[in-house]
Amino acid sequence: MLKTNFLGMELPNPVMIAAGPWNRDGQRIKESLEAGAGAVVTESIISDTMLDVRPRIASDSLGAENIRMYSDIQIEGWEREMEIAKSAGGIVIASISGQTPSELAYMASKMERFGADAIELSVSNPAAESLEVVASHADTLYDMTKEVVSSVKIPVTVKLSQNTTNISKVAKAVKAAGGSGVTAINTVRGILGVDLETAEPSLSTYGGISGEYIRPLGLASVATIAQTVDIPICGVGGISCAQHALEYIMLGSSAVQVGTEVMLNGKESIRKIVQELEIWVQDHNVNNLSEIRGKALENLKAYDEMKFEPAIIHANGVPCSENCDKCIRACMYQAISRKGRSIRIEREKCTGCGLCASVCPAKKLKLDL
Amino acid sequence: MNIKQIAKAAGVSVATVSRVLNHPETVAPKTREKIQKIIDEEEYTPNWFAQGLNFKRTRTIGLVLPQNLNSANMEVANGVEEVARQKGYITFICNMEKDPRREKEYLDQLITRKVDGLILLYSTLNEEYASWIEEENVPIVLIGETKARDSWDSVFVDCRAGAAEMTAHLIECGHKRIAMLCGLDPEPEAKAMLQGYKNVLKASGIKVQENLIQHVNNNIEGGYIGMKKMIGNLPKKPDAVFASSDEIAYGAMDALKEMKLRIPEDVAVAGFGNDRMSSLMEPKVTTVELPYRKMGIYGARMLFDQIEEKQAKAEKRRRPKKIQLHTKMRVRKSCGHGERIGEMF
Repeated sequence: MLKTNFLGMELPNPVMIAAGPWNRDGQRIKESLEAGAGAVVTESIISDTMLDVRPRIASDSLGAENIRMYSDIQIEGWEREMEIAKSAGGIVIASISGQTPSELAYMASKMERFGADAIELSVSNPAAESLEVVASHADTLYDMTKEVVSSVKIPVTVKLSQNTTNISKVAKAVKAAGGSGVTAINTVRGILGVDLETAEPSLSTYGGISGEYIRPLGLASVATIAQTVDIPICGVGGISCAQHALEYIMLGSSAVQVGTEVMLNGKESIRKIVQELEIWVQDHNVNNLSEIRGKALENLKAYDEMKFEPAIIHANGVPCSENCDKCIRACMYQAISRKGRSIRIEREKCTGCGLCASVCPAKKLKLDL
Repeated sequence: MNIKQIAKAAGVSVATVSRVLNHPETVAPKTREKIQKIIDEEEYTPNWFAQGLNFKRTRTIGLVLPQNLNSANMEVANGVEEVARQKGYITFICNMEKDPRREKEYLDQLITRKVDGLILLYSTLNEEYASWIEEENVPIVLIGETKARDSWDSVFVDCRAGAAEMTAHLIECGHKRIAMLCGLDPEPEAKAMLQGYKNVLKASGIKVQENLIQHVNNNIEGGYIGMKKMIGNLPKKPDAVFASSDEIAYGAMDALKEMKLRIPEDVAVAGFGNDRMSSLMEPKVTTVELPYRKMGIYGARMLFDQIEEKQAKAEKRRRPKKIQLHTKMRVRKSCGHGERIGEMF
C-alpha cells in the first residue's frame, strides 16, 4: 500500500532518511535501510574532506542547528562503503556537494560506478555557502544539473533551498536541465539562540536550522513547486510523524525525507513513522498514496483567486465548559466575551479572521456564513 | 628471507606466496593465514623492482612542479599525495625551478624509471616535447593550463574570471588608478588574468594605462622590485595594486612599507591565491582563493582513472576530461574595503 514511485524507482514506502552523519558510511546506511527506510541518502560527499568544526550541532525543543555536516570519507573510500551499504539490497541515493559543474559531474559518475541508484545534488547548504547559496541562482543550478545529468545514466534530483526569491523558477531550471526530481527543502540559515550569561550564540557561526522550525517553510515550498512545475518532489523539513509526512504528500510530495528526527531520536523513529502511515492508509481506505498526493492543493488557491465571503464565527450553541478564555484573549476585535459558563459572540464585531477557531482547544468554534 | 624461503617454510609453492601478497582473496583462508604468519614473523617485504617487472606497474607516479619553496605548489602536492597514498602509490616530487630544460630532464627520468603516470603542474612543455611524451603512452594529467596541449585531461581554474572579480572589487572600493603587477609565469594564467583586469577596467570606463602594468618575476622579490620600479617611474602613485600572486603581493607590500606608504590608506593591495601567509600579513591580504589542494586531488583522481583504464585495456581514447574548480574572493583588510562582507559571511 505504501509503495511509491520516486525518480522512476520503486520505493517500498515513501519515507527516506535524509543526508547526514547518521548515513556517514556503508554500515550506517545499511542500518538505515534495515530500520525500514524507503530509501537512504548518503551523508553529503565533497571533493576534499575537511576538518570538522567543534562543536557544530546544537538543538532545542523545536529543532536543531548545524554548521556543516559533510562526509569525512574521500570519494575513493565510497567504493568500499557503497558495497557495504548495498550488501543487503535497498535504494541508496548519493548526496554530492561541490562548487562547479565539472566537479559535481565527476563525483556523480564515480558514485554511479560505485552503485548509487540516484544522485542528489546538495548545493543549498546555508552554512557552507554564505548568504547566496548556489541553489538560489537558477542559471548556475541549470548548468550544474545539466552537466551532472549528461554524465550519468541514473536519475538526478536537486536539493533546493528556501533561501531564494522564487523557488518555482529554480525548480523549473532543474527540470529544463533534465533533472528527474527536486528535494525541498534544505536547512534554513539561522541562529538558534544566544546564551545571555556568556553572550555566545548557539554555535560559533551561522548555521542551518532544521526540525519543527522549518516544516511550515518546507510545506509551502513543496506546494509552490507542485502547483507550478511538473516534476516529482521529495519533501523535507521537520517530519517526525506520519501526520507530517502525509501533509507533505497531500501538498504534492511523492516521497519525504526525515533527518533531524533520526538525529535526535534514532532510526527507530523511521519504523514508527512507517507503521503510523500504514495504519492511516488502512483507516482511510487508501490503496495507493498517489490517490492522496496533492489532494490539499485543490484547497490551496492563489491570493488573487480567493473569494471574499462574509463568514463569521459561530459557537453553534455548543456550551463552553473549558473556561480557558483563550478565544477571548485572542480576539483582536473584542467580539467574544464570557457569559456565565458559556461565551457570547457579537456578530457585528466579528470580522471572520478565524484565530479563535484556531486557538480553541476543544475546536468548538466554526467559521461560517 | 626471500620469497623462495618463505614458500619452503610454509610448504607451498612460490606462486602461492605470491598470490597471498597480490591477490589474497584467491587463496584458501587457512593457507593464507599460515603463509601470512610466516611473512609477518620474518618481516618479509616483497622485492619492489621485481614486482614492477612482473605486473608492468611500479605503483609510483611523478609530479613535476615549478618550484618547491612555494607553499601553494606544496599544497597541490599535498592533494596529489592524499589520493596516491589511498591508492597505495608513492609520489616522486620533482622541482623544475621554472626551467623548461629541467622539466624535460625530469620527465625523461620519470619515464625511464617507469612511473605509472605523470602530473604536471603549470607545465612549460612545448608542442614538440608533448608529442614525444604522447608516444611514450604514459598516463598524464595537467594541473593549470599549458601552451602545448589541449587534448590531455586537466584541472584548471578560471583565472580570467577571478582577476576580473578582484578588479571589480577594487573599483567598488573606490579605487581608480589600479595598477597590476603581473607575474611572468605561469604564462597562460598570467595572460588570462591580465585580460580579465583590462576587460573590467574598460567596462567600467577606466582607461587602461600601460605604465600601470608591470611584468615581474612571480615571487616575493619580483613583487618588491616591480613595486619600487613602478612607484619610481610614475608621476603619481596608483590607488591600488593588484598582484597576480600572493607572493608578488607580499613583495609589493614590503616595498610600499619601505617607502613609508600606508596600506591600504595610501596604496591598497590585492593578491591572488590565498596562500596560508596571506591572512597572517599586516594588514591581512585581500585575495582570490585558489583551491590548491583540491587541484592536486582532482589531478591525481583523473590520473588514477587513466591508469585504471589503461590496466583494463579500455579501447578507444575517450574525450579529454576537463575539471574546472572555483575561485572565491577573500575580502580582508589590504584592499581598503570598509565592510567585511566577503570574509565573514
